[in-house]
Amino acid sequence: MLTVEQNEELTRVGAGTPMGNLLRRYWYPIAFEQDFDARPSKTVRLLGEDWTLYKTPSGRYGIIAERCPHRRASLSYGVVHEDGIRCGYHGWRFALDGRCLEQPAESDNSNFRDRVRAKAGRAQPLGGMVWVYVGPDPAPELPRFDVYVLDGIRDIGYTTLPCNWLQIMENSVDPHHVEWLHGYYFEFLGQIGGFEAPKSFQKKHVRVAFDEFEYGIIKRRMLEGNSDENDDWKIGHPLVFPYGMRVGGQWVDQMQIRVPLDDTHTWKLFYTLHHPEGGRWEHQDRPVAYEFPWRHQDGALITDYVEGQDIMAWVSQGEIVDRSTEHLGRSDAGVAMLRKMFKENMRIVEAGGDPLGTVRTPHEIIELPCEKDKFGAGAAFADQWIKGGSMRYAPIKDELLALHKDAAAARARTAASG
Amino acid sequence: MAESGLPADAHRRPAGPHPLPADPHALPPPGEWFAPDAERHLLDRPRFCPMCGASLDGGLVSESWAADQRIFLTWCAGCSWLGDVVRYDEVSIDEPEH
Repeated sequence: MLTVEQNEELTRVGAGTPMGNLLRRYWYPIAFEQDFDARPSKTVRLLGEDWTLYKTPSGRYGIIAERCPHRRASLSYGVVHEDGIRCGYHGWRFALDGRCLEQPAESDNSNFRDRVRAKAGRAQPLGGMVWVYVGPDPAPELPRFDVYVLDGIRDIGYTTLPCNWLQIMENSVDPHHVEWLHGYYFEFLGQIGGFEAPKSFQKKHVRVAFDEFEYGIIKRRMLEGNSDENDDWKIGHPLVFPYGMRVGGQWVDQMQIRVPLDDTHTWKLFYTLHHPEGGRWEHQDRPVAYEFPWRHQDGALITDYVEGQDIMAWVSQGEIVDRSTEHLGRSDAGVAMLRKMFKENMRIVEAGGDPLGTVRTPHEIIELPCEKDKFGAGAAFADQWIKGGSMRYAPIKDELLALHKDAAAARARTAASG
Repeated sequence: MAESGLPADAHRRPAGPHPLPADPHALPPPGEWFAPDAERHLLDRPRFCPMCGASLDGGLVSESWAADQRIFLTWCAGCSWLGDVVRYDEVSIDEPEH
């Protein structure tokens, strides 16, 4: 448990807060490239602030505080130029870096514009998403994590959840929830609902471990019947500090992304790359993005799929979980470790340093450790995950199932002939 | 007196025509489900680093439980020491087979 004060410090993300200062040192995906096909600008919310994200005619992206410094009209309704954006109200023009370039109604010899600067960040595309950085200069490199740059078929399920991002992150260092929430509870729902719950998630945890590494925390689990030679223990998978988790198995590789929109809202994305060995696919220009449901029409939460169960836990904890009334057990050591990591990195930023995971060197790809044989389930894992997770809502679900099935058959043929 | 040793009405504010805003650090009222633990958490947690002796105010002390054991995962922002501080009411040892 934490004190109320500690909980506040860990969960408030606005400008000027310790956590807000830390989180502003990272790049975030905040839109999809296709969002700009019809209109070149849109409003996005990030870290408690509203921004205008826009795409210039040549394809460059810019991000600027939504309200025009002149009379506070929305720049999302502005005119996009090659070198920036012009407010639709009185024509003030701003450069990509926020400098005011023009104030048409003011006299030409005015130096007024030199004294006006809009808050601006940086934006660039990667993996079909538009990423932004709204922190201090010098901006770090945008980390090119493996799932965003490797070839394969990509699908992105997304939604906005009414809760603080930290309670979602804490779920990523809580291995035991899998066997209960996605195992036992799923089985219960299957029994009363007349469907078969996936068995991969039901194995009992024998041992869990957490290791800090350069991008976050590697989580390991040993399941009943497995040994320390199994991927779940030997390799594990990482929480990617401060807002991601890399997970996967059987060539279904996923980054779970939790973008803190503000204190009580999180943009949740499941960015999944399908690239099974032995599989064949046509080049995909853009990922398939789709919003997945998590509430029934009557408001009740949808809990008969894996991520819906997670969402039940996160959302039912409240907008910001009251950690002053929780009871942690020893199995929550990962949760305590993550909180420590946030606190530690807040101090690093206060002292002027780069927090964990800051990338300063240009690079092609950052490969993250992640198990291949998940839960010791073999090829069945891909099938169970696609059918029993948020990917069941993917418009290309059937193609994904066929891709993995054909690839597994091809691997079997290769093994038999070898 | 409450079980914690604090006056039973320690959490209450004097009634008056101009009540103060709610204190975010106030303990839950005695008798509420969690109050005794909350009090003890605030009162019992380590205040100083076991390694360097610095105040833990800037660090993080996170309490968890294992049966009767109260374990404070403690991180010192001064020297980066990370470890468990375990509070004992009674020290007992399980003897292995011998």
